[in-house]
Amino acid sequence: MVSASNVAKKVQTAAGSLTILQNVNIAIAAGESLAVVGASGSGKTTLLGILAGLDLPSSGDVALAGESLTHLDEEARALLRGRLVGFVFQNFQLLGSLTAAENVMLPIELRGDGDALHRAEELLARVGLSERGHHYPRQLSGGEQQRVAIARAFACRPQVLFADEPTGNLDTATGERITELLFELNADYGTTLVLVTHDSRLAKRCTRSITIDTGQIVAETLHASMSDDDSAGSDRPAGSEL
Amino acid sequence: MATADAVAKVPRRMPLALRLAWRDWRSGELRLLLGAIVVAVASVTAISLFVDRLQSALIEQSATFLAADRVLSGSTPAPVELRDRATNLGLQQAETVTFATMLYTGEDKNLLASVKAVSEAYPLRGVLRVSAEPFGPDTVSSDLPLPGEVWLDPRLFPALALELGDTVEIGFKQLRVSGILTREPDRGGSFTDLAPRALMRINDLAATKIIQPGSRVSFRYLLRGDEGDLESAYEALAEGERSRYRWLGARDSSAAIGNALERAESFLLLGGLLAVLLAGVAVALAAHRYARRHFDHVGVLKTLGATPRVILQNFLGVLMLVGALGVLFGLLVGNLLQQLVLLYVNDLIPGELPSAGLRPYLLGAVTGFICLFSFALPPLLALRHISPMRVIRRDLVEGDLAGMLTYGSALVGTIVLLLWYSGSVVLTLYTLGAVSAVVILFAAAAWLALSGTGALGMQAGSFWRLALAGIKRRSRASIAQMLIFGLAIMLLLILVLVRTSLLSEWREQLPDDVPNHFVMNVTPDEVESVRVKLERISDRVGELFPMIRGRIVGVNGMTTDEWSAQLGNLFDNDIDNERNLTYSDQMPGENVVTQGEWWAQGTAEKLISLEDDYAIRHGLSIGDQLEIDIAGAVVSGRVSNFRRVDWDSMRPNFFVIFSPAMLEGMPTTFMTSFHLPREEQRELNGFMRQFPTVSVIPMEDIIEQVQDIVDRVTQAIELVLALVLVSGCLVLLASIQSSRDERLAEHGLLRALGATRSLIAGSLSVEFLTLGALSGLLAVAGAELAVALLQVQVFELTPRLHGWYWLFTPLAGALLVLAVGLAGSRSLIASPPMRVLRNLD
Repeated sequence: MVSASNVAKKVQTAAGSLTILQNVNIAIAAGESLAVVGASGSGKTTLLGILAGLDLPSSGDVALAGESLTHLDEEARALLRGRLVGFVFQNFQLLGSLTAAENVMLPIELRGDGDALHRAEELLARVGLSERGHHYPRQLSGGEQQRVAIARAFACRPQVLFADEPTGNLDTATGERITELLFELNADYGTTLVLVTHDSRLAKRCTRSITIDTGQIVAETLHASMSDDDSAGSDRPAGSEL
Repeated sequence: MATADAVAKVPRRMPLALRLAWRDWRSGELRLLLGAIVVAVASVTAISLFVDRLQSALIEQSATFLAADRVLSGSTPAPVELRDRATNLGLQQAETVTFATMLYTGEDKNLLASVKAVSEAYPLRGVLRVSAEPFGPDTVSSDLPLPGEVWLDPRLFPALALELGDTVEIGFKQLRVSGILTREPDRGGSFTDLAPRALMRINDLAATKIIQPGSRVSFRYLLRGDEGDLESAYEALAEGERSRYRWLGARDSSAAIGNALERAESFLLLGGLLAVLLAGVAVALAAHRYARRHFDHVGVLKTLGATPRVILQNFLGVLMLVGALGVLFGLLVGNLLQQLVLLYVNDLIPGELPSAGLRPYLLGAVTGFICLFSFALPPLLALRHISPMRVIRRDLVEGDLAGMLTYGSALVGTIVLLLWYSGSVVLTLYTLGAVSAVVILFAAAAWLALSGTGALGMQAGSFWRLALAGIKRRSRASIAQMLIFGLAIMLLLILVLVRTSLLSEWREQLPDDVPNHFVMNVTPDEVESVRVKLERISDRVGELFPMIRGRIVGVNGMTTDEWSAQLGNLFDNDIDNERNLTYSDQMPGENVVTQGEWWAQGTAEKLISLEDDYAIRHGLSIGDQLEIDIAGAVVSGRVSNFRRVDWDSMRPNFFVIFSPAMLEGMPTTFMTSFHLPREEQRELNGFMRQFPTVSVIPMEDIIEQVQDIVDRVTQAIELVLALVLVSGCLVLLASIQSSRDERLAEHGLLRALGATRSLIAGSLSVEFLTLGALSGLLAVAGAELAVALLQVQVFELTPRLHGWYWLFTPLAGALLVLAVGLAGSRSLIASPPMRVLRNLD
């Protein structure tokens, strides 16, 4: 579903050329979940951006659902993202000028699909926020905001979901609930999941994790699939405070 | 369901752009941009509406010089087609027939008079003034002489030894003298109508038997009504017919009035330009803030699959929507504003102002969109290049919003608007040149001033330090704000300074003792005695010029018709009109040679000096050989120089001056001008009695009308100034808004760390005072530069320094920026720190 071969990323700084990624090779199968772990500044977020087509590598090739991204311009990559990709961000990235429901409707509207409102309501109900749809992001807690972001990420039934430190801004308990929700929806929709995290517990929920250090993959670990009873607590009543 | 209720407020079938706009609006994101456009459109529309109406009023006012809105003037009566069309269109009509003839009295005294026979409706504009005794105080008269009666110029009474009730003969008709006519609106300042006036009814004309084929008579057909109808009436005339007549509008009625109006117009437009520039700055500021606040928005949209094209379409859609709304509101507000202004100045402007046409609204609307696209589009266009990586890499800093494109497009928009408004490339270039020079100088000076504040800040108390540190920390923004404040103040200052020098120029041109009478028909042997007598009654008597009537009949061996035809009708073909000519060894005092050289004293060569506009209009150049018909004798001479003539000077001025050798032996009379205060005009009785054949022409009407126009224009400029000031303040507000987020963050943090509200208010005050004072200083320097350029190049004045403005402007700037700044940041100071921090994400 997602592949990277010999990917490198260099940027020009005042001090000269800086290598952020080098010699990265990854293949992620459909339905697989991959955690990218590593220290701050190791290059994991840059890798996520390149895999998702938000940025282009300096060399090497990246393919999404069999389509090479490196030869596409921003216009075409955007169309591909709209079709295939969903995102969850560490700082939620909800649009402050839109209500929760409108934030969820946005990707559906961008695709030009009809009945965005109905679908947004369904998804908000699914993440337990059916009563908060008319609230603006600033009126929601961090956990609620991330639930809205997850609803938005699944709004277009993406084939791949990229998550950048999805629990990074949340306390442990809330983070765990968000993790549950994320994996639950991931299973429901059969989505491929690529997430960047510091959180080893979150990484272990994935089928595989790779460790990045100074721009290179230094380790790869396969995890046993988590059992269903580990997801206890995900069925909390809708609308309760996270 | 609550979600459904909330979202249902967004109509479902709206295109995405509309929904984005709606949501941005609902969240307050678009209000500043919309506000700026409303301000832009409203100020332009209000100024333009007001100027338009004032101009109509001025034209209407000067229409009194024609006694009508339009006049068809010719040597035969107006064709029946015109009369019929005018009647069908419902235009008011009147007719005058003017001719020179001898007036006889019973005692066999006679004098040449200019008789004007008028129809009942005369005058269509303006009023007649009459006095009870010759040279006594006059009053407005709404009457006309009755059939069988005549009203006479006061000068005729002493000259003919007449009294009211006497009879005079005009041709074969005896008329009873029933009034003393002191003024008529269309007397004009031309010398073709030299002799004193006799006003009679057109119905009596036939009985005089004076009008015969071939007699020199001027027929004028007067019309009054709507602009469109007037032009439509003229269109009734066939092409061939038109060439036999002159079609006169208010602007043609007198060169002096024409000049005054033209200056008024370009001056008021200058005011309009300033409002547009300020509005443009406000729009640009608002658009930049809007764009900056949408960086994340665009990043998120892109991660969700929005292509750059979709981004572009959406923001263009939003912009169009905001533009349309802004223009609509702007037009409404502009209209209201203009009405308010009129209400306020009701007693300043006498009489009803005519209603404006559609042009001001068009001007406002187009200005709104030009402003929007040239000032607001670039930052929004740049949004499509925002990297989606921004969403996960917060350290990605977006560079300049479109950089050069922003400035380039703003410049193009400004030039288009400037050109469109001023219709003058020169004015546009100088305004632009001054502004760009000032922007560069300002930026440099502001930067220097900010470097200087460091040392100052270290020595001052704590909120000084806080304020100055703030200014320095935001040095780019501070320089930009000083630029904006400075420019706004500079523009206002230019207007004030130019107004002042323009007015003083006008006043200097028309001092209290400006000659208000012309004396003509002085025979060579009377010259000395006339001079002596005039010097006794007047404190200001001009030079006595010889004057001969003549007309150019040939150019370089061609007839004037051939010459005009060769010029391809591009120029006026009135080259062979009869004109007043003079000869002199010395150039008249206020003339300036523009080409060639003035001849040597006592030259034996036959040389000609021409007024430069006249020469250019008729395609003449130095060295051309002209033939001039003077009372049947043709003399010829070579053009040796062109002169610039100050037609506003109210002194005798000549299109054509000869070297004395050319007119040797020609019969000539002399003319001069002098000043006589109104209350001393009875003195003229004695003068007229002593020199009955000398013509004295009062010029006061023209002078007073010019002064009246100057007064009105002054008032108009004050109003335009007030409107510009309002736009200037709104720009200040917009620029404070644009640094609002940063200030909120800063103040929130300071408050959280224990800063008191008064410390923040104090530091804000110091910041605004400093910015305002520095801006004021920059403004006065810039304004001096721009005004000096304008004075030299456009108004042809000597530039000078305006000393006390250097003191006053920084002070006023500091207070203005302080007042507006504190008003604009009240909510910044009042915000509780918690709310401030929460708003920061």
